[in-house]
Order: sequence, then structure tokens, then C-alpha cells
Amino acid sequence: MAKPPRPSASPSHLLYLLSLLSLLIIHLSTTCVLADSHFEGFEADDEDEALDSADSLQFSNLRSPPVSQSESPPATTKLTPSEPDTATADPTQSGTPDHPPTSPDLSKPSSTGFDYWDEDEFEGLPFLEQHQQQPSEPSKAAEDAVGPQDPSPDPKSTPAASPAKRSYMVEIVCGSFLIMFAINYFTGKRENENIALAWAAKFATKESIFEKNFSLLGVGEGEDSPLLLKEGQNVFKFYASGRRYCQGLLATMELKSRHDLISRIYNLIVPCKDEISFEVYMNDDAMDNVIFAVAKKKAAKGMQKELRDLQRFAGLLPPPGGRKWVAEELSVISESKEVAGDMITEAVLDQVFGEKAFEKFGKGFISMHFSDQHPGGHSKMLLFKFTLPDVNNMADMTRLVSLVPYYIDLVGRYKISPQARSKTEAARAKAAQEAHKELQNARQEALQKRKLERKKMMEEAEAKLGAEALRKKEAKERARQMKKSMPRMKMTRGH
Amino acid sequence: MSHNNANDPRQPSAARPFKAPVVSPQDLPVDYSGFIAVVFGVAGVMFRYKLCSWLAIIFSVQSLANMRNMENDLKQISMGMMFAIMGLVTTYFGPPRPASRK
Repeated sequence: MAKPPRPSASPSHLLYLLSLLSLLIIHLSTTCVLADSHFEGFEADDEDEALDSADSLQFSNLRSPPVSQSESPPATTKLTPSEPDTATADPTQSGTPDHPPTSPDLSKPSSTGFDYWDEDEFEGLPFLEQHQQQPSEPSKAAEDAVGPQDPSPDPKSTPAASPAKRSYMVEIVCGSFLIMFAINYFTGKRENENIALAWAAKFATKESIFEKNFSLLGVGEGEDSPLLLKEGQNVFKFYASGRRYCQGLLATMELKSRHDLISRIYNLIVPCKDEISFEVYMNDDAMDNVIFAVAKKKAAKGMQKELRDLQRFAGLLPPPGGRKWVAEELSVISESKEVAGDMITEAVLDQVFGEKAFEKFGKGFISMHFSDQHPGGHSKMLLFKFTLPDVNNMADMTRLVSLVPYYIDLVGRYKISPQARSKTEAARAKAAQEAHKELQNARQEALQKRKLERKKMMEEAEAKLGAEALRKKEAKERARQMKKSMPRMKMTRGH
Repeated sequence: MSHNNANDPRQPSAARPFKAPVVSPQDLPVDYSGFIAVVFGVAGVMFRYKLCSWLAIIFSVQSLANMRNMENDLKQISMGMMFAIMGLVTTYFGPPRPASRK
């Protein structure tokens, strides 16, 4: 653990890969355009029909037509020897080689009036042969799609050949993206591990801050337990226990998703930082009525709106006159001025929160929140949030980390004055009453819901019963009422 | 802010071993990439767009990379992956789509 971590792979190789990929895409797109350049003079209809004809070809069972004989049924008109062949040939077939045949079935010639025709006039044959070779050579087609191509348009090439080239674009892009994702996954994972290990090496090994303050370090039981628990590829946890005033401390490192290429690209647009948060679970008898928070101005406003305990009990405090206070960038939220004054000591101002100290050592500070009314499993907690520096600059956050044991002792020893206590206890009693009322209301609502459900069930059951059953029920009820209305007579036996 | 040896804050008797908190599936953060993978996968299978199937593969791989809780996350990821693979299989090995007629 104490060994210096390996230097992480720089993101330059990632940019290099991205640039290579983009060059490949550009090259492919230009070759596709060049391949299609000889279609420019065509109308849209011709092109669509040609594509349709290419789709309709079944390559698996395609056989080459005889060169000298038509496959159409024998024609009724016979050709006399005196008439030349070329005179009766279809003009659409004997056009320029650039024009694709427009008939939907390419295995048959368009001029089907004759049993025999000249070999030179059948323009579709090379096109068919070309397609017959394609299924047997898929690797060649793939090479054509990737490899460099001659930009000069081939007069024999036909419109059906270009979609085959175009169709590999999606596969190339997605495949290369997946390969890059896999490479980035391993490099990013290693980077995150290096950051977490660097932090642990600095603050959780022998002769470090946490080793001097806690008797149990690590997430397992025993001496050889691992220091860090890896919860995800970018979430690492460190646990410490065995200290006065507190039950334990849980540090959670939430790093950038370096292992995830999509998140990495997103973080280029919306930057974020590596964060570490400390949760200190205080002993119930060690923490007095304290609700206090320090954060950067924007974050402080957000905290006061979002966090229930700060919202109910605390408010933003203006800087007091006549004494040193926190840097201008910071805001203090507290239940009372007394608590705020006692929590922000001279030592803390000199070390971190003072104007000069904050410029040097407070760069990584995000927020600090102490509360005895914390919502959740544990009510008495101290929360610290800092940003993590680079692997090589872990020492920069030494002063921030040393705030944690300092405040554990300060809050553990702290006792508020009787006046402040009466105020805080009144506020807590009021809050408890409100909570109790809310609970009662919730219970009543639940009861009403149950009653309504029962009523509905009864009504449904009645609706299911038939008309006869209803009559019987009514008759029974009448009989019952009659019995009730009848005068009661005592039968006495006379002797 | 440091502590000297005379006033050692450590209390070995108070040490409690770490217990990982049990996280219910409701409290887990929403797996957006897994959801997107399923959506694209279904679209790829139904409409037979190979791009949708490829995107489903990419997003399910992303979801797999970001997975934290094996038991809770694996259902959605496996579903997305299955749809994506089905889409690719039907696109490449299935019968060709009928050409659009005018």
C-alpha cells in the first residue's frame, strides 16, 4: 500500500484513437461519394428502380442466362432472314453502358419478342456475373469497403454495388467504438484505482492521520483487512473506527467515470471533479444540540433549501463584526450565532478557512455539515465534502483531512450555554410535535383508505349477487324488522 | 490540529467492524444506460434497424461497466443485451426485409 502507485496512462492515446477513427470515417465517406459520382445525371425514379431491382435479386439461386437464347416463351412472330437483328432490338438495351437496365427482373431481357438476339446487345450479363461472385467472397467486399479505392468512376459499375459498400459504415463505427470502449475501460479503471490507492497511501497507512486517530482501519475484520472497499469502478470506501466521541468514520471516494467512454465524453462537455465525503457517526452522549454548516455560497443556498434539518432549524448567518471570520467565498449556516462562533475557531481560520489560508489550502473544500437531527439511520453526524487532487498532489488536502479529527474532538467536547439550549430544545420539541402530527394524519388516512376499500368490496359483492339472492335478503330483513316491531309477551303458565 | 501521544484519541474497545449497509432496489440510482439499451434493443428487434441494435449493444456494455449491485442491476442489463443480440441476429441472419415498392 505504501508503494508509490504506477503513473496512470495519459488521455492522449484516447484522443489519438478518436482522431484515427474520425479520419477513417471521413475517408470512407469520401470514397462512397466518389463511387456514386457517375449517378449524377439520373432521375430519381431510375435510381430507385435500379435499387429495387438489386434488392429483388436472389443471389443464392441465381443462374446465368444463356447468352444466345431468350428465356421468355416463344414469340408468335418469326424473324425473316432478310430483316437485320439490330433493327428490331430494343433501344433501351442498346444504349450507353452507363444506363442501368430498368426492368425489375434482370435475368430476362426487356425485349422479349424474339427467341434469339445478338450477344452484344445484352448489357446486363456482366452485372449479374459480378453479383454472383459477391456472396461467395464476403471478405473481399469487406476489404473493398475499408481499403483505399480508385476515385475514377468505373463505367461498368452499377448502382447496386454502392449500397454494399455503404452498409459496412455502421458496423465499422460501432465496432471501433466498442474496441475503444474496452481499451478505455481498463485504462480508466487503472487510473481510478491509482487515485484511490494514492489517497489511502497518504492518509490511511502507518504514521498517517487516520492511523494516529483510529484503532481500526479498513473494511474487513482483523489486521490484514483491506483498507479500501471497491463498490464500483469509480466508488471506493474507507472505514475507520475505535476513537473517542464517535462510533466510526466512513469515507466515500466518488471519482470521475474514467472507465466509461461515454461518461468521459460527457465530462468533456460538463466537467466534474473527483470527490471524497466523510461521514462521522457520533456517539449519542457526545454530541450536543448542534446544527451547523459551512459551504461555498452557491452550495450553501442549495443546502439550506434541500436539507431538512438546515431548513427547519438553521439560517444563513451574516459575518459578525469585530472578529476574524471565514473567507468571502464561504457561507455559514447555523442554528445560533453562539454555535457558529464556537465552531469557527482561530485555529481553523488560520489553517483553512481564513482569507489567506483558504486561497492556499482551501481549493478542495466543498462543504461541511454537522447535525444532531440528521434524517436517516443515524441522527448525530458530521459530514465533510472535499475534492480530490491529482495522484501526485495528494499532500495538498492534508489540512482539509485534518479538519475531520479536529472537529470530532471539538464537537464531542462542546456544550452549549443554557440559554441557547432552551431555544434549541424548544425548536426540537416543536419539530417532534409536527412529526407526531404528521404520523397521526398518515395513520388516519390509511384507516380511511381501508374503510373505503372495504365498502367497495361489499358493494362489489352485492352487485355480484343475483336478483333472487337480493329478494331473499330483503325478505329476511323484513322478517327481522317485523320481529323487532312485534310487542314482546311473556308466556306464563297458570297453575 | 495534531494529537500528542499523551492524549491518544484511540479507543480499541470502542472499535466496531464495518458492516456494509443493505441497499434496497428502490434506493439505487436509476440505470439510464440500461433503460436506453432495452429501448434500442426492442426497436432493433421490432423494426429491424441494425443501428438500433448496435446502439443497444453499446449502451448495455456501458451499463455493465457501471454496474454496482450484481443482483439488482443484472436483470435489466441482461434484458437489454438479449434484445440487442436478437436484433443483430435477425438483421444479419434473418430473411431480408421486403424492398419498398412504389
